[in-house]
Amino acid sequence: MSKTPEYPSMKSRTLTLTHDIPISKTKTYWEGLKEGNVYATKCKKCGEVYYPPQTDCPKCLTSDAEWIQLFEGELETFTQAYLKPQGFTHYEQNYMIAIAKTAEGVKVMGWLEDMDVKAAKTGTPVKITAKIMPDGFPTIIFKPK
Amino acid sequence: MKRVAVIGVGNSKFGVRSDATFPEIAFEAIKEALEDAGITQKDVELSVVGTVGSRLYEMYPAPLINEYTGFTLKGPIRVEAACATGSAAVFTAYNAIASGYVDTAIAIGVEKMCEVDTPTSTAVGGRGCYLGEFHMFGTSFACYYALFATAHMAKYGTTEEQLAKIAVKNHYYAARNPKAHFQREVTTETVLKSRVVCWPLKIYDCCPISDGAAAVILASEEKIKEFKAQDPVWLEAIGFGSDTGNLTRREDYTSLRSARMASETAYKMAKVEPEDIEVATVHDCFTIAEIMAYEDLGFCRKGEGGRLIDEGQTWIGGKIPINIDGGLKAKGHPLAATGCSMIYELTKQLRNEAGDRQVPLKRYIALAHNVGMIGQYCYVTILKR
Repeated sequence: MSKTPEYPSMKSRTLTLTHDIPISKTKTYWEGLKEGNVYATKCKKCGEVYYPPQTDCPKCLTSDAEWIQLFEGELETFTQAYLKPQGFTHYEQNYMIAIAKTAEGVKVMGWLEDMDVKAAKTGTPVKITAKIMPDGFPTIIFKPK
Repeated sequence: MKRVAVIGVGNSKFGVRSDATFPEIAFEAIKEALEDAGITQKDVELSVVGTVGSRLYEMYPAPLINEYTGFTLKGPIRVEAACATGSAAVFTAYNAIASGYVDTAIAIGVEKMCEVDTPTSTAVGGRGCYLGEFHMFGTSFACYYALFATAHMAKYGTTEEQLAKIAVKNHYYAARNPKAHFQREVTTETVLKSRVVCWPLKIYDCCPISDGAAAVILASEEKIKEFKAQDPVWLEAIGFGSDTGNLTRREDYTSLRSARMASETAYKMAKVEPEDIEVATVHDCFTIAEIMAYEDLGFCRKGEGGRLIDEGQTWIGGKIPINIDGGLKAKGHPLAATGCSMIYELTKQLRNEAGDRQVPLKRYIALAHNVGMIGQYCYVTILKR
């Protein structure tokens, strides 16, 4: 929390921002996470793979993509968060955030489980899955293979 | 392109400024800059207001800043480039003069971050890539830079002790800078034993959340003659670079491509080499960022940033003194103020006005390296006197 100000101050009126984010073009991805699956997109015309997925291809300017599932990758880097932002302060665990490189050539961010941050090594192969947290938000999980 | 020089600089006190609003803090920096240049608002044709502003109660702050500080009718052009906003403001003002559109301009960087609590500030900061990263993983800027620290340590053997030495150096100089957020020295041991924020980064590896403002007044060569400005500091070059929004789309996590791009452009434009630079301010929002900056700017070879700090080469008296104002790490990092504050410090250095922290100069060439986010933006500016 911020320090108690030494100087006089007054409260502003509260502003609450909650967005309804359109997912028409990425519904497969968000639905996939609920089933434990992580998908990327592949442009049907030029073959470019996108993660996070996007159906619009800036390389060839077409919008016809197919969905491909990502199953595993290799840890490229990782950290453990002791500092949690607003929206995450109700998570008791100090979650580990990692980036894994897949054979499809894209990199995925996820929460690393079943590993100690001090014992973790870059290059470790991980399985990529997803789950819905008790608060209803999805997340992606990496576990050592 | 016209030649452009810095003719006035101002810098507010950085810190938790619960004594003042954002226009009041901007006023402090602008007043100092105008007095330093020996001119008034009437002499300035354009104001460029840089503020990230995402922690403010005010959503459109630039006109209010302009009005409060006497610049109504002189712009404002509002710019935002995350933590590189101040340099984006200088870049905009520079181009307006270099192109001949105006002859004088002021770049203002102001940020108020401490009016909201830390989890809110962390969430606002971490929302650099919401859908791909923040929404599911609760990323913060400390996490992002920690990902780079882990990768750099794994690839080059950089150590937590080397990171700590960056903090020790920058606190040492901040303790000698009355405008700095932190006014005290720390030891390597204190840094290493401090609480973990995002492993391997500890609280003393991180810059504080600060309030502050800085301002830079620029003028064309013709106008400098007209003003009879005594000691112009020439803005020889500004290079910019960028990179992907999603961190997962980066080539690697040990270097910032945008910094390499920006510095390559700036060195070429100023016709200088890294070895010619005598003093530099680099973007040390986290200690690992300073180590990467040494390498990306060519002050040492890739992977040898840790060795450069081990050898003490970036202290005054070393090969290339860096962040001798305390850096973001200890002077503080009021986002948009930082880029302008770097120019403030280097202008003082080039004029030999830095007092106890003065770097002995021969060639009078200085460099500022200002990163936005995790290299999504980067500006490298070269100054000469």
